[in-house]
Amino acid sequence: MWFKKRSFLIVILLLIAIHYSMKLTEFDLAKFRDFSNMIDFLTQWFPMDFSTFPRMIEDSIETLAMAFLGSFFGLLFALPLSFLAARNTTPFPPLLHATRLFLSFVRSIPEIVFGLVLLTALGLGPFPAVLAIMFHNIGVLGKLISELIESADPGPQEAMKAVGAKNGFGSLFSILPQIWPNVLSQYFYRFEVAIRTSLILGFIGGGGIGQRLFNDFKTFQYSAVSLDVLLIMIIVVIVDLIGGIIRNRII
Amino acid sequence: MIELKNVSVRYPKTTHNALSDINLSIQRREFVCVLGQSGAGKSTFIRCINGLQQPTSGEVFFDNELLSLKDEEQLRLVRREMGMIFQHFNLIPRLTVLQNVLTGVFGYRSSLKNILGWFSKTDIQLAHQVIEDVGLTDFLYRRIERLSGGQKQRVGIARALVQKPKVFLGDEPVASLDPGTANHIFSLLKDLHNRHQLLTIINVHDVSLAKRYATRIVALKDGKLQFDGTPNEFTEQQYHIIYGTHKQ
Repeated sequence: MWFKKRSFLIVILLLIAIHYSMKLTEFDLAKFRDFSNMIDFLTQWFPMDFSTFPRMIEDSIETLAMAFLGSFFGLLFALPLSFLAARNTTPFPPLLHATRLFLSFVRSIPEIVFGLVLLTALGLGPFPAVLAIMFHNIGVLGKLISELIESADPGPQEAMKAVGAKNGFGSLFSILPQIWPNVLSQYFYRFEVAIRTSLILGFIGGGGIGQRLFNDFKTFQYSAVSLDVLLIMIIVVIVDLIGGIIRNRII
Repeated sequence: MIELKNVSVRYPKTTHNALSDINLSIQRREFVCVLGQSGAGKSTFIRCINGLQQPTSGEVFFDNELLSLKDEEQLRLVRREMGMIFQHFNLIPRLTVLQNVLTGVFGYRSSLKNILGWFSKTDIQLAHQVIEDVGLTDFLYRRIERLSGGQKQRVGIARALVQKPKVFLGDEPVASLDPGTANHIFSLLKDLHNRHQLLTIINVHDVSLAKRYATRIVALKDGKLQFDGTPNEFTEQQYHIIYGTHKQ
């Protein structure tokens, strides 16, 4: 009954798409016959090399700082912009479209492109990486928060209007308390993503544990690489835990 | 004090009037209950009075001033003289009782200080006073979500009282409450009406509440004014006209 002719067509289309995608990506499980190579390679990762451990910790903290600053500044700029980009709170419609256009523009540019461009002006180091993360997050958080604003319960907004509150003031007060926990959880998710992004930016000279990982890898110091990876995993888990705790206290 | 002349409202993309040709004059000290089936135009009627809804044609006067001549800023100044309560309370979630009541002063204050949550001593004293008036002193710092429906509506009433309104409007304020609580809310409204010489206009479903508390009953049917008179004049026959044939 729920299986209509149309679903049959969709299945066929999906199968065709899967077939061509596998062809284009050379997807072939038979290639796993050289699986033992990977085992050999991974055994070189152990035992871990702790000789540069203190420097690794420093780099990890630098990565954490990059991710935090980039995503937090992103949030600071995104918050006011998202009120302009939400249909129900924008002061006037042309501004709505202009802000949305700006947000999708900065969102569509990957951090690594921002990073490569900014490197030419600012030189190597974490500063251009922070800016790259910030720009991208303005776009992402701006869109997410403006959607939260649009789906906020209109009742309290009407009440603020009836009280005689000025428009912007009323929206701020009736909407922000409603969306605040969701804003925070989006923010912490973006913070976590920013950690991973800052690793990639480290590969192009953005500093932090990402750059160390890249350098260790390129100089075949696999026993150091394993420790780098472990530290990265620990950072991500810690940020996730802190985010969870803060969010629980807010709700 | 409030006068409606030939007021009609038609919402965009609809074929009939939500309100048609309403003529009504309401004086200070009246307690008006507006009756009518769902969709009869009660909400639209209430919203025309404080300018949340502009009439498609006709005129609304408040203190002899024409509302439709006013711009958004002047309307704001009119609205802060009118307290309003709602069926779904429309309180701000995650804030405490005191914080919600304090938002009632936003028509008068909108400084950076208020954004940061700092209010003057007089504002806070006033908020404490009205919270006592509605009997919620024990719940000052309780969050809205942890209150019962009746308590939430009391917070709504307190928020409106902080405005020091001349007019008190209610859009089905007891429709989501049980009958006992509804009665309590109405007796509170009546008490405040007498104490502060408020002009009170309330939409209700429950005819018995209207007959018990109102000084005047207005009934709408299909957007038209069907009845306007004292509670005693609102007879069984009127009831049948407004609500159809059978009384529950």
